[in-house]
Amino acid sequence: MKIKTADWVFVGVALASGAACWALLGPSGVRAGLGDAGDLLLMIMPQLGAGLLIGGLVQQFVDRERVAGMLGQNSGFRGLGLASVAGMLTPGGPFASFPLVYALWVAGADAGALIAFITAWSLIGINRLVIWELPFMGADFALLRFFVSLPLPILAGLIARWLVLATPLKIREAPRS
Amino acid sequence: MTPVALILWALVAALAAMVGARKGAAGLRGAGAFAVGQASVLLIRLPMALLAASFLTQILPTDKVAAVLGPETGLSGILLASVVGGLLPGGPMLSFPLALVVWQSGAGEAQTVALLAGWSVFAMHRMLAFEAPIMGWRFVALRLLSSSALPLMAGLLAAAVLGLLDILFL
Repeated sequence: MKIKTADWVFVGVALASGAACWALLGPSGVRAGLGDAGDLLLMIMPQLGAGLLIGGLVQQFVDRERVAGMLGQNSGFRGLGLASVAGMLTPGGPFASFPLVYALWVAGADAGALIAFITAWSLIGINRLVIWELPFMGADFALLRFFVSLPLPILAGLIARWLVLATPLKIREAPRS
Repeated sequence: MTPVALILWALVAALAAMVGARKGAAGLRGAGAFAVGQASVLLIRLPMALLAASFLTQILPTDKVAAVLGPETGLSGILLASVVGGLLPGGPMLSFPLALVVWQSGAGEAQTVALLAGWSVFAMHRMLAFEAPIMGWRFVALRLLSSSALPLMAGLLAAAVLGLLDILFL
């Protein structure tokens, strides 16, 4: 496999943070960091594998024309709402959701819908609320945060569409697959 | 295997059965090729990102963070929490424990809402490890611009709701 420049950036960031950890906390800090990273990797791998396969499988179904109609740049408020609900219901971490975002992009969703999707997934995702927020933060806090965040994904999608129309900022053409 | 992973793999099995029925082996091979292509991008970056996040968690000064995010810090606390949230390393397995520590060490509820919203929206590790490699930097830039005000708005809305509840029930 080919090692790209971006890979070296990641190696550099990991080494720099490891060095900072060593300087501040000594070898025991580095050992704790290494242990945490190993645990995380083990925890993530099964979800990551499933997420990548789901992205690939969903791609086999999606009809480019239909997704473009439902989530494309002319899909209006309804498209953003639909993308938000889809994001809210998408389970798993970024390793599961970004392959899906990519698949939707290839299938014809516009920047506004993709951004509404990611924002909904990260901000008001049901899966994360149930698995992480309720146990750690309690129901009162979780519900407060959920309800004040509810309209924000659609807002982000609207702003993104406006930015694409009104400024030179555009995302690159979706790769055809 | 966690329950989430089990649900995801059940979904994989169901989707694979549907793809197999509709498009046969070619459809399944196409799906597999898509997954392998994405996995090869993450092969080096993901472990490195996890290492960086874990090292940073070791050295993050949580006690000092809490002192400047109390309920009486108002707008400035909400603004700071939004930014700090974006710098929180790691996934929910790291950020929720950290948010709880910050909240319990005296941060306000609205500030903690902004902190978690900032983490959700800006999550640097996620941007570096997944979003930029998969979607490209131009997409990342557009998304950041579109959602830069959201954590602040979440915090302010939360403060407003809390204020309203105070008036109604006290």
